[in-house]
Amino acid sequence: MASAAAGAVAGAAAPFWRAAGMTYITYSNICASLLRSCLKEPYKADAASREKVHFAISKWAQGKPEKPVIRSDTPGE
Amino acid sequence: MAMAALRREGRRLLLSPITPNPSSAARSAMSISPEQSAPIGLRSISTQVVRNRMKSVKNIQKITKAMKMVAASKLRAVQVRTENSRGLWQPFTALLGDTPSVDVKKNVIVTITSDKGLCGGINSTSVKVSKSLFKVTSGPEKETKYVILGEKGKVQLIRDSKGSIEMTVTELQKNPVNYTQISVLADDILKNVEFDALRIVFNKFHSVVAFIPTVSTVLSPEVVERESEAGGKLGDLDSYEIEGGETKSEVLQNLAEFQFSCVLYNAALENACSELGARMSAMDSSSRNAGEMLDRLTLSYNRTRQASITTELIEIISGASALTG
Repeated sequence: MASAAAGAVAGAAAPFWRAAGMTYITYSNICASLLRSCLKEPYKADAASREKVHFAISKWAQGKPEKPVIRSDTPGE
Repeated sequence: MAMAALRREGRRLLLSPITPNPSSAARSAMSISPEQSAPIGLRSISTQVVRNRMKSVKNIQKITKAMKMVAASKLRAVQVRTENSRGLWQPFTALLGDTPSVDVKKNVIVTITSDKGLCGGINSTSVKVSKSLFKVTSGPEKETKYVILGEKGKVQLIRDSKGSIEMTVTELQKNPVNYTQISVLADDILKNVEFDALRIVFNKFHSVVAFIPTVSTVLSPEVVERESEAGGKLGDLDSYEIEGGETKSEVLQNLAEFQFSCVLYNAALENACSELGARMSAMDSSSRNAGEMLDRLTLSYNRTRQASITTELIEIISGASALTG
């Protein structure tokens, strides 16, 4: 994948998260959730409500959809 | 009522079998079908059909009015967030430029649509723009694929572009749009789809009645590098000093990913705003049409009712006069 190649090509300067296969977006998301967990109540609950993720993604191959994968913080819904 | 008394008279004069209908039900007796309890020879025109229609149209009007209120209240909240999110991508456009005319080999069209319907024509316009963009960006050695967000777009694009769909995403609207969700989605797209340029198609929210279909272009880091070598706006990047021991290509890569995430977030918010605004105006026109339909039905109901009363009167009186005269 292009991102891995570019990360490796940059040489030893690749940050650890890039070498581990994360994109910058994942990295900043993890940092953000760490920051959110540093909050006190009630702000913590407000911030947690901004963090909810739920969607169903399905890849297509040759014009046919494959089984959708549900990425959700609330499984079983 | 004098009418009811007259009818009773008429029935007695006609020597018909006794009808069990009480006089208070005189009006409803008229609307009951002739087979039920009217005397033999007494015809009545049924207004039941019209009354059923009126009841259902009135219910529809109430429902659409309620939907409009709900959409209006949701719109206010989302609009504030949308305007705040515009500040996320403006620095990116100032730095990296938005070049829709960039010529690349692999294009991915990200179409943002809604999951729910009853929102007017915004989904169809988005799909139309995506299809024409597809035509523009296809050609020899070029490849264009779709990534579709939302049920409505999926349904429309399945019909004729099945082979070019890379991914579809649904159930996005379960939670209100937040950056975390969009960034997880952006991450998925980045990891699974090969692209040189991403074109995001959405409806930009100008005002409650105006939604403009827009295309935002996000380039992949390699293309950005290539363009920066070529000069132009991106060529000025070399004049910036980069701190922190990272190379320019790394910074560009981080920036490109973050740009995609921000632009997608703004696009999703704008589309949500447009959807709510379109739903408001669609439901508003729907309740207005229902009101007009109700007026027409009321007129026709009254006419039918009066005509049947007149017919009954005529029959009774002519029957009475035939017996006495």
